[in-house]
Amino acid sequence: MDRRKALKNIGTGIGAIAVTPTVVSLFQSCQTATGYTPVFIPQEDFGMVSNLMELIIPATDTPGAIELKLPEFLDAYVDGVWNQEDQARFAEGWTAFKSSAVKASGKENASQLTLEDWDAQLANYLKSESTPSEDDLAAAFADQLRGLTVNAFKTNEYIGENVLAYAPIPGDYKGCVDLQETTGGKAWSL
Amino acid sequence: METQYDAIVVGTGVSGGWAAKELCEKGLKTLVLERGRMVKHIEDYPTINDDPWDYKTGDVITNETKKVQGKQSRTGYTTTESRKHFFVNDLEHPYNETKRFDWMRGYHVGGRSLTWGRQSYRLTDFDFEANLKDGIAVDWPIRYKDLAPWYDYVEGYIGVSGQNVGLPQFPDGNYLKPMDLNCVEDHLQDSISKNYKDRLLTIGRTAIITEGTKPGLGRMSCQYRSRCMRGCPFGAYFSSNSSTLPAAEKTGNMTLRPHSTVSEVIYDADKKRATGVRVIDTETQEVYEFNAKVIFLCASSVPSTSILMQSKSEAFPNGMGNASDQLGRNIMDHHLGVGASASTDDFQDKYFFGRRNNGIYIPRFRNIGGDTDRKDYLRGYGYQGGGSRRSWTSKVAEMGYGAQFKEEVLKPGSWSIGLGGFGEVLPYEDNRMTLNYDKLDKWGLPTVTFDASIKENELNMRKDMQQQAVEMLENAGFKNVRGYDGDYALGLGIHEMGTARMGRDPKTSVLNKHSQIHDVPNVFVTDGSGMTSASNVNPSLTYMALSARAANYAVEELKKMNL
Repeated sequence: MDRRKALKNIGTGIGAIAVTPTVVSLFQSCQTATGYTPVFIPQEDFGMVSNLMELIIPATDTPGAIELKLPEFLDAYVDGVWNQEDQARFAEGWTAFKSSAVKASGKENASQLTLEDWDAQLANYLKSESTPSEDDLAAAFADQLRGLTVNAFKTNEYIGENVLAYAPIPGDYKGCVDLQETTGGKAWSL
Repeated sequence: METQYDAIVVGTGVSGGWAAKELCEKGLKTLVLERGRMVKHIEDYPTINDDPWDYKTGDVITNETKKVQGKQSRTGYTTTESRKHFFVNDLEHPYNETKRFDWMRGYHVGGRSLTWGRQSYRLTDFDFEANLKDGIAVDWPIRYKDLAPWYDYVEGYIGVSGQNVGLPQFPDGNYLKPMDLNCVEDHLQDSISKNYKDRLLTIGRTAIITEGTKPGLGRMSCQYRSRCMRGCPFGAYFSSNSSTLPAAEKTGNMTLRPHSTVSEVIYDADKKRATGVRVIDTETQEVYEFNAKVIFLCASSVPSTSILMQSKSEAFPNGMGNASDQLGRNIMDHHLGVGASASTDDFQDKYFFGRRNNGIYIPRFRNIGGDTDRKDYLRGYGYQGGGSRRSWTSKVAEMGYGAQFKEEVLKPGSWSIGLGGFGEVLPYEDNRMTLNYDKLDKWGLPTVTFDASIKENELNMRKDMQQQAVEMLENAGFKNVRGYDGDYALGLGIHEMGTARMGRDPKTSVLNKHSQIHDVPNVFVTDGSGMTSASNVNPSLTYMALSARAANYAVEELKKMNL
C-alpha cells in the first residue's frame, strides 16, 4: 500500500477513523511487510489483505495481526494446506469481495479504497443481521478470511505462550474446575 | 551372522512385542524381524515437545505430505506434521483398491503400538458365541474363559486405566484408577442413567498409566500433554518400544533386526514343519534365510496374510495354511464415522485442567438378549466420544470482528459433546485381499489388492447408531444436536483383521484355538489375522492376550517336543 496515499485517504474519508496507535501500527507494518514475498496472495493485494486482517484482529494491549505476521501465516496456510479447489474459491471470493467493496465505495478501483471503505465492507458481511445467500462469494470470503485469521492468531507462538493459558506439561487432569481460578478466564492454548 | 534361533517373531507392534517378550523371558533365543527402521524409545521421537507454532502452518496435514502420503492422510489426523514420520510413504508402499480401502500403517520398530488409540477392551462370550448363534461364518474355537487370565496378565503389565461397571457384555478388568469425566460428560452420564435402563456411560479404558509405574523403560504416570501419537517421553502409554521390547532385550535372548522384510515362511514337507523364513534386507536388497523351531507371524493382519500367501510350495500351492481357501477372506474392521454432536450454554464458568487423551465410552446395548434384540441387524456397537471446550463459536462470530471480537476469541467457547459409534462388521467371504504379481513393489514382492466393503447389516446398524446418539444427546437437554453419517470405507477404523481366521475345522479356517496354522503347527499367527469375528470393541488388547497365550503354549509344546 502507498502509505502517503493511505494517510491522505484517511484524512478525506467520510466518517471518523481515529488515528489510534492501532491504526498507526497498521501503517508502520505496511513497511515491515515489504520483506515478505507472498506465495499465494498476489503481491499487489497482500497489503490490502493484511489491512483487512488487522481490522479483524487489531492491535490492542496485545499485538495485532500485522505485527504477529498473521498475513504471512495465512498466505502460507492457504498455499500449503488447502486443496486447489478451495484455493480457487478463495481467490474468486477475494476478487468478488474487492469488486463489491469498490462498487460500494463508488470509487474506480481497489487501490483507492480507504481503511474505512474496507471496514464498511467487512461490517457489511460480518456485522450484518441478515444472512447472505450461499452463492455470495464475497460474503463467503469474509467469513473464510475471519476463520483463517483466528486460526493464524491462535496458532501464533506469542499468543500461544504469552496471552492464552499455556501449559505444555500439565502433570495432572481435572475434569471440572473453576474457569476463573484455573486460567483467569482465558482459553488453553494447547 | 547367526542364522539359527529358537524362535522368530515377525513384526514389532503390539503382537510382536508381546510374543518377543514372552518367548525371550521363557529362555528362547529369539530373532525379531521388523521391515522398517529402528525407533528407539524417546531418542527417536523427534516431535515430542513441539507446539503447533513450531510448524509453518501449524500441526496440520500439508499438501506436500499428501503428495507422498495421500492414502495415509485419509483419516484426516494420522499424517499431521507431528505424526507423519510414523506412517508409511504411499509411493514406496503402494497397494491396490478394487474398492476403496483405507490401509493406515507405519513400518518401523514398534509399528502401530506407537500411534494406536490405546482404547483397551475385552471381548466377551457375546462375541465368542456370536457366529455360532447367528449361523455366520465359523465358530470361534475359544471362549472368554480361555482368554480371561491373559487379559488380566496383559492389563496388569501394560497398565490400563478404567472403571469396572459390572456389565456382562462389557467385562470388568484389572484397571488403574479411572480418569475424570469433565462437566458435560458428567451431565450426560447422569442423564443416560436417568433415561435408560439398558445403557450407561463410563470413562474410556485406555492403556495409559494413571498411578504408580509399570515395567519397561522408566514408565510412569501420564502428564496429560495429549501428545501420545508422537511417542511418550514418560512412557505413560503402552508401546512395544517402551514396554515389551525392552523386557525382551533385558533377557539377553533377543536379536532385533530392522530393515528386514519377510518374503516367505520356508516349509519342509518331510517334517511337515516350517524351518525358517526368507528375508530381504530392505536397504541392501540382499536375501537371507533364518531358521528356528517356532515362528510367530505378528506383522498385522494384511502383511502376515501376505507372507502366508507368498509362502507357496508343493504342499501349499495357494499359500501356507490355505487348504481352506480362507486366507485373505473375511476382512473386517470397525465401522465408524457415524453419530451425533451437540453443544450447551451451561457450565460457562467451568473448565478443565490438563489434556486427557481419552474419551467416554457407552458399551454395547443392542442384541444382547430380550428387549435389546433387533430385527434389522445383527451384533452391536459402542460409542466413543467426549466433551470439550475448545473453539470459538457462533456467539463470538456475532461480534463480527475487531478489538472486542479479539478478546472473545481468547476465551474458551461453549462446551460441545460428541458421540461416535464403533460398530461390528460381519465376516464376509467375498470381502477379501489378494496379491497382485503384475504390480511388484521395489523389493520385487507382490502388492496387495483389496476388494471389500460394508453391506446391509452394517448400513442398517449405522442408522440406529446415528439415531440413538441423537436421542441420548437430546434427552440430556443439549442444544444444536446434529446427527451425522460420514464418509466411511473399510479400513478407516485402522482395525483391519480376520484374514487368517481361527476355527475348529481345518477345512474352513486357517488357525486353530492356539493360533497355530492347522497344517503347520510350529507357525503361530497372533495379530488381527486370527479374528473369527470382529466384536465391536477396539481389538489391540485381544491381540496382546492372544500373543501372550500362544507364546506360552508354544514354549510348553517345545518342551514336550511336540513342535
